[in-house]
Amino acid sequence: MKKEFFITRYDVKAENSFALDDNIMVKDGLTTGGSKMLHNFVSPLQATVVEKLLDAGMELAGKTKLDEFTAPGIAAETCDILSGAVGAVSEGACKIALCNDVSGKIRRQAPENGLYYIHPTYGTVSRFGLIPTVSSMDQIGIVCKNIDDGFNALGIITGHDEKDVTTFPQKSYAYTPKEGGFKIGIPSNVMELTDEKGRKAIYNFTGKYDTEETELKYFEVFAQVMYILSSAEIGNNTSRYDGVKFGYRTENYTGLNDLYTKTRTEGFGLDMKLLSIMGAHVLSRQNYEAYYLKSMKIRRLIKEHAIDLFSRYDAIALPLKLNDPDPYKNSALYAFATLCGLPSVSVPLGSDGGIQLISQVKNENSLFGICKGGR
Amino acid sequence: MEYEIVMGLEVHVELATKSKLFCACAAKFGAEANENVCPACAGMPGMLPVINKRAVELGIVAGLVTNCEITRTISFDKKNYFYPDLPTGYQITQLYAPICRNGFVDIETEAGNKRIRIKQIHIEEDAGKLVHDYRPDSSLVDFNRASVPLIEIVSEPDFRSSDEVVAYLEKLRSLLTFADVSDCKMQEGSMRCDVNISVRKVGSDILGTRTEIKNMNSLKAIARAIEFESQRHISALETGCEELVQETRRWDDNKGETYSMRDKEDATDYRYFPNPEILPVHISDEWISEIKDSLPELAHEKYDRLTGCYGLSDYDSKLITSGKNISDIFDRTLEFVDNPKEVANWIIGDLASIAREENKSYDEIEIDCEKFGKIIKMVENKVINRTIGKKVLQLLFRDNIDPESYVRENKLGMITDAGYLENVIKEVLAENEKSVLEYKAGNQKVISFFVGRIMRKTQGKADPGSVNSILRRELNDWN
Amino acid sequence: MDLQTVLEYEAMVKLDLPESERIWIAEKASMLEDSFSELSKVDTEGIEPLISVLDLNYTLREDIPIKSISREEILSNSPEQCDGYFQVPKTIE
Ligand SMILES: [Zn+2]
Repeated sequence: MKKEFFITRYDVKAENSFALDDNIMVKDGLTTGGSKMLHNFVSPLQATVVEKLLDAGMELAGKTKLDEFTAPGIAAETCDILSGAVGAVSEGACKIALCNDVSGKIRRQAPENGLYYIHPTYGTVSRFGLIPTVSSMDQIGIVCKNIDDGFNALGIITGHDEKDVTTFPQKSYAYTPKEGGFKIGIPSNVMELTDEKGRKAIYNFTGKYDTEETELKYFEVFAQVMYILSSAEIGNNTSRYDGVKFGYRTENYTGLNDLYTKTRTEGFGLDMKLLSIMGAHVLSRQNYEAYYLKSMKIRRLIKEHAIDLFSRYDAIALPLKLNDPDPYKNSALYAFATLCGLPSVSVPLGSDGGIQLISQVKNENSLFGICKGGR
Repeated sequence: MEYEIVMGLEVHVELATKSKLFCACAAKFGAEANENVCPACAGMPGMLPVINKRAVELGIVAGLVTNCEITRTISFDKKNYFYPDLPTGYQITQLYAPICRNGFVDIETEAGNKRIRIKQIHIEEDAGKLVHDYRPDSSLVDFNRASVPLIEIVSEPDFRSSDEVVAYLEKLRSLLTFADVSDCKMQEGSMRCDVNISVRKVGSDILGTRTEIKNMNSLKAIARAIEFESQRHISALETGCEELVQETRRWDDNKGETYSMRDKEDATDYRYFPNPEILPVHISDEWISEIKDSLPELAHEKYDRLTGCYGLSDYDSKLITSGKNISDIFDRTLEFVDNPKEVANWIIGDLASIAREENKSYDEIEIDCEKFGKIIKMVENKVINRTIGKKVLQLLFRDNIDPESYVRENKLGMITDAGYLENVIKEVLAENEKSVLEYKAGNQKVISFFVGRIMRKTQGKADPGSVNSILRRELNDWN
Repeated sequence: MDLQTVLEYEAMVKLDLPESERIWIAEKASMLEDSFSELSKVDTEGIEPLISVLDLNYTLREDIPIKSISREEILSNSPEQCDGYFQVPKTIE
C-alpha cells in the first residue's frame, strides 16, 4: 500500500514546487500542526517563508504529515513513522520540503532515505507563521534531494523579517560552496557510543579530509538538557490550546475546568501529554533551579564549547544513530546543533547511511562546500 | 490593646500607548468587543512578540518620576495559568529583571509628611475582559484589553492608615498623569490597586496574617475596604471567633464588605521562566537622558511656575495643578489669552462652577480652549460684559457653540452708548421712586438693586462701568 | 515520579489521563528524572543561564496602531461565539 505523506495536496508540477510541514501557515489554509487540537484551524496568516518562496516563483505542492507539533517524542510508535516531508521529497512529489526539526528525527531520516537536510543557523530564517514548538530552538530547515536546490531555496527564505525580530539584521544571504581547506573534527567520545555502520560512514566520508579526533564535551547531558528545556517550552507554547478560541473543543462538558481538561486530554497525543507534565515538573518551584536553571547554564557552557571547537574545525562530524536504539539517548546526537543554533547538514551516503556535519553560526558555506566535494 | 495596620500596595496602571505591548493592535478604550484583536493577542500560534518601544519609555518615565533606579538590561518572563481572559495560557511579565527598582514617593497627610518606598515597577500585559451578565449560562470573552501594556508598581509595606494609602494613590495619579504615563482612571480600570494588609500589636514586629484585597474601583472604596478589612483582622485577633487565613479577598462595594475568593491563590505554581521569544532589551544612558530631557512638567513644577512666574495665589495654583485635565485647560487657554491671572480667574470662578452645575468632575471637563480664550478676550476688550461672558461659556461647555458668531447673531454685544443707558436708567429710577428716596436717606445697598433692574432692561448687555457712573450721577441729580 | 505526583501535574496543565496513560507517563517520567541526576555532575558555578542563543540588538517597534484582521476572521476559528465575543461556560457563580 502506498503511504500518503500529505495532509493537503495541490495539483502542481513537482519540478519547481515545495511542500510544507503542516505547522507552517498558509493564509486561509488548514494548518493542523499534526494535532487533533488544530484539526480544523484555518490560518489567518501567511508564513514569511511561504511568501518568499511564492514570490520567487515556486509553487506549493501541499502540506505534509508531521509528529504532533513536531515535538521530540519518546513513545516508540511516533519515532518510527516516516516524516511526511522526507517521504514527499523522496517519492518525487516536490523538489524541496520545509519543516522544523527540533527533535532530530528528520535529520536522521532524510539521509536514510537518500536526501539531504539543511538545518540553518538559528536566526537566519523567519519563524513568522511557524507554529511554535520550542521557541528557543525552532528553526525551519529544508529537505532536498539535490544540495544545490536546497541551498538555492535557503537563499530565498533567509533574511531579516520585521515580523520576527529574533532574525539577524542581515537582509539576505547568498550561499555558495566554499572551495576547500576544510578541517573536520570527529568527537571520539561520541564515536565510542556509535555502532560499526555509523563509524564506517564517518570514516569513509571524512577519509579524504584533514581530520582530528576531538571531544564533544557535555555530550552525556545533551539529551537531558534538551528534554528539560524543550518540555518546558512545549508545555508553555501549547497551553493556548484549550478549546476556547480556536481548534478542537470537546463535545460534552460541565463547566470551564471540565471544558479545558476534556479538550486537552482528548486533543493531545501521548508524547505531548508527557511533555506537558514534564514541562510543569521542571518549571515547578521545587525543581526550577535544579532542572531548568541548571539546563540553561549548561546550555551556555555547550555554546561556549561550540565556539572553542569551531575555532579549530570547519565542521564537526556526527553519526545519525547510537548503538543504543533508545530514542531519548539518540536525541543527544541532534541536540548540539539545536541547543546552540548551529547550522548542520545531514548528508546521505548510500549504503553507508549518512552522517551529519555541523558548523559554526552562519558558516553554511563550509557545509555546502564539503557537500559539493571540496577538500 | 492597640493595633497597627501594616499595608503594602500593588498598583496596576495602564500605559497610555496607542498600540498594544506585543502586537500592533490599537489599545484604545471602549471599542466594540474583539474589534482590536489580531492572531497574536487572540492567542493563535505563529506570531512573535515585538515590543512596543513607547511602553518601555513610559515604564522608564514612571521610574524617573518615582525616584527609581532604571534597570539597564531588562527581560521578560512567562507566567503560566489557565483562564479564559488569558488567550495564550501565559502572561508575559517581568520577574527577574523589572524595569525599575528602589524608588520612593513622598506623601502628605494630616498626620504629616511621609516617604513611601517603592520596591519595583515592572511591565506586563493586561488580560482580556469577561462579561458575565449578558448570557445566563455562559461568560463572554473580549480580547480588546489583552496585551495592552501595564505597569505594576509594588510598594514596600510602608502604609499605616487608609489616609496614607489614599494620599499615595493621589500622588501617583498626579505624577503619572502629568508625565503622560497613563490617564489613571479608576472607573475605567486604567488604575487598579490591590492592598496587602495585616495588623499587629503596636510595638510588636511580628506581622499578623496577611490578606490581599482586590476589586476596589474608587479611592472611597479603597478607604472603606481597608477600614472593613482591618477591623475584621482586629476582631478576629481579639475575639478569636474567626481564624485568619492568608488569602485573596474581593471587595463588595454594595455590601461594604470583603469576601474570600476561595481560590488557592498562594498554592498556585505559576511556573515562571524567561521568555525565549523576547531578547533582553538594553536601556542606554543616552536613552534615559533623552527621556529625562523630554519629561513633561510635573504638578509641583507647574505649581512653582504658577506662583513664581505668574504670581498666582497658593490656592489658585493648587487648584489648577490638582489634576492633569484642568491644568492642561489652563495652559492651552493661555496660548490664546496672554493673561495668566485672568485665565485662572475664569477657570476657578466660572468654568469650575459651570462644571459643578453640570455634575462633571474637573477631570471630565471637555472644552475647546481656543473658543474659551475668545470669550475671555471678548470680555477683556469690552465686546461683551462678564455676565454675558459666563452665559456664553455655559453654552460653549454644553453645546460647543462658536462664541463670536453666537454673540453676533444674538446681538449680545455690550451696550456702551451713554445716551441710551441714561434713558434706561432714568426710566428705572422713575419706576422705583421709593428706593430712590431710601438712597437719598443714606442706604447705599439699593445701588445693586438698581443695577439689577438696569441689566434686566438691557438683557444683561449694559457695560457695568458706564452703568455705575451714570447711575450715581442720576441718583445724585435726582430731586 | 509516582501516580499521585502525575495527578497533581495533570491538574496544573489541565489533563485528566486515563489510568493506562498515567501509568505510562509515571514510568517515562521516572526514567527521565533518573537521567536528570546526571546534570548535577556538571559544574555551573558562576555561569549565567542562556535564554536565547542569539546575540543581537533586539529591535523595538514604534507605537503605531495597525488593524491587521477583521473581528469576523478572528472569531471564525472559534468553537463557540456570541455577538462578537468568544463564549465559555460561566466562570463565576
Ligand atoms: Zn493584537
